Amino acid sequence: MPVEPVVQSVPALFEPIAQLSPAAFDLPFREGYVRSTIFVSLYVSVIAVTLSTLVSIPIAILMGFIEFPGKRFVKSVINTGMGFPSVVVGLLVLFAVSNQGPLGSLNLIFTREAMIMSQFVLATPPITAISLAAITGVDDGVRDAARVLGGTRIAVALVVLKEARYGIATAVLAGFGRAISEVGSVLIVGGNITSAAGISKTRTLTTAIQLEARQGQYETAMVLGAVLVALVLTVNAVVIRLGDSGVGR
Amino acid sequence: MLRVTGASRSYGDEAVLRNLSLEVDTGEVVAAIGPSGVGKTTLLRLLALSLEPDDGTVALDGTDAWTVDAASRRSLRRRIGMVFQEASLFDASVVRNVEYGLRVRRSWSERLSDELAGLVGQSGFDDAVHEALDVVGLTEKVTQHADSLSGGEAQRVSFARALAYEPDVLLLDEPTSDLDPRNTAVIEEAIGEARDRGIGVVVATHDMHQAERVADRVAVLLDDGITEVAPTEVVFENPADERTRKFISGELVY
Repeated sequence: MPVEPVVQSVPALFEPIAQLSPAAFDLPFREGYVRSTIFVSLYVSVIAVTLSTLVSIPIAILMGFIEFPGKRFVKSVINTGMGFPSVVVGLLVLFAVSNQGPLGSLNLIFTREAMIMSQFVLATPPITAISLAAITGVDDGVRDAARVLGGTRIAVALVVLKEARYGIATAVLAGFGRAISEVGSVLIVGGNITSAAGISKTRTLTTAIQLEARQGQYETAMVLGAVLVALVLTVNAVVIRLGDSGVGR
Repeated sequence: MLRVTGASRSYGDEAVLRNLSLEVDTGEVVAAIGPSGVGKTTLLRLLALSLEPDDGTVALDGTDAWTVDAASRRSLRRRIGMVFQEASLFDASVVRNVEYGLRVRRSWSERLSDELAGLVGQSGFDDAVHEALDVVGLTEKVTQHADSLSGGEAQRVSFARALAYEPDVLLLDEPTSDLDPRNTAVIEEAIGEARDRGIGVVVATHDMHQAERVADRVAVLLDDGITEVAPTEVVFENPADERTRKFISGELVY
């Protein structure tokens, strides 16, 4: 890699961004590095958030519609989970997948699957809690109306879910935001690995940024940071647009 | 047709209704009048079979709703429509709101084919929806979103929504207390239309003049029970009960 001065003029700093797509030029990182890092980030976060959503929304629905003993306790566990330190989650997943751990035989250590596990643990509480808040926040009048109009419990629940759809979309977004911005746990369980050719195996945008910054590769770090921000903004915009066009409008 | 007999209901230690009996028959309008907080809403919820009485029975055509299983109770409940003080429309178009009651009465597989038909612009409920909206004079709003309606229009759609599946009984809980005179007049006319179709209507209102305008019979609720049930002109001109007389004449102030 060519040695670049740390302090640069602003246009020089953004030059690599302008040149991201075509291949033949002098970059501070190898070809395919950024692309593979983006891929790993998205791969891990999208799968983790999808799994979290599949688990969280049924939990939120159950808690929003059914009274059961211990509900307050479950709720407080979920709320605690929202603030749970991610490095600790990483550590716990590391123990679980390490050779001596309960999942040791699956050889998941330093793999994307392990990263998915830790992001799943991190994204599930916020998605559940925000979805639940959206469901319980639906006007009681709407529930009553659906019921007196002859709705079964499931039909009433569907009406409430539809009313809560923006809140649920926000919940999934929040979960995605937490997952893709996550550094500590994916660093611990993923190991921030690239191949010898500089193609990311378990390196995400976040872990790449912290490594590049630590190595003084500020422009690479900046490029990756810009990509990360752009990704999050794009996903937000898409989900908000979907919410606006809405079902049944 | 729909009859509540000797019903009591309390919330915690507070008795809201004690030993109350009332019946509404096919094609008649019964107004439940009384001051706020006297239990009119509780009475309507008992009649709607959404609240179980602590004592007494609620029966539709002789079937005691709380001795049968939940599925039978739901089929009884589906013969009853209810409109609340707040319109509480769903976040959807007017037509989706009005056809809701019809939609939930279809089986899941029927609903699926309805939805598919809806994608190509055909809804099997067009006639019923149009007819119900016609009663409240809002047929031109059918494709609009519920958000775009004024408060009065929303309440009229809410009325149409309860009428669309042709219930046998229609319960109205202060349906016009948030409305301007014009919208109130539309709702009152719609109440008359419902009666003409043979629907039994119970309207809870604190507006005595409204009761006088729309009702065939009036039930006067004071404190925690009915002091008098009688034909409208009797209640307003020659009530048998002393407290009713004082309430009607405005001497009894709550």
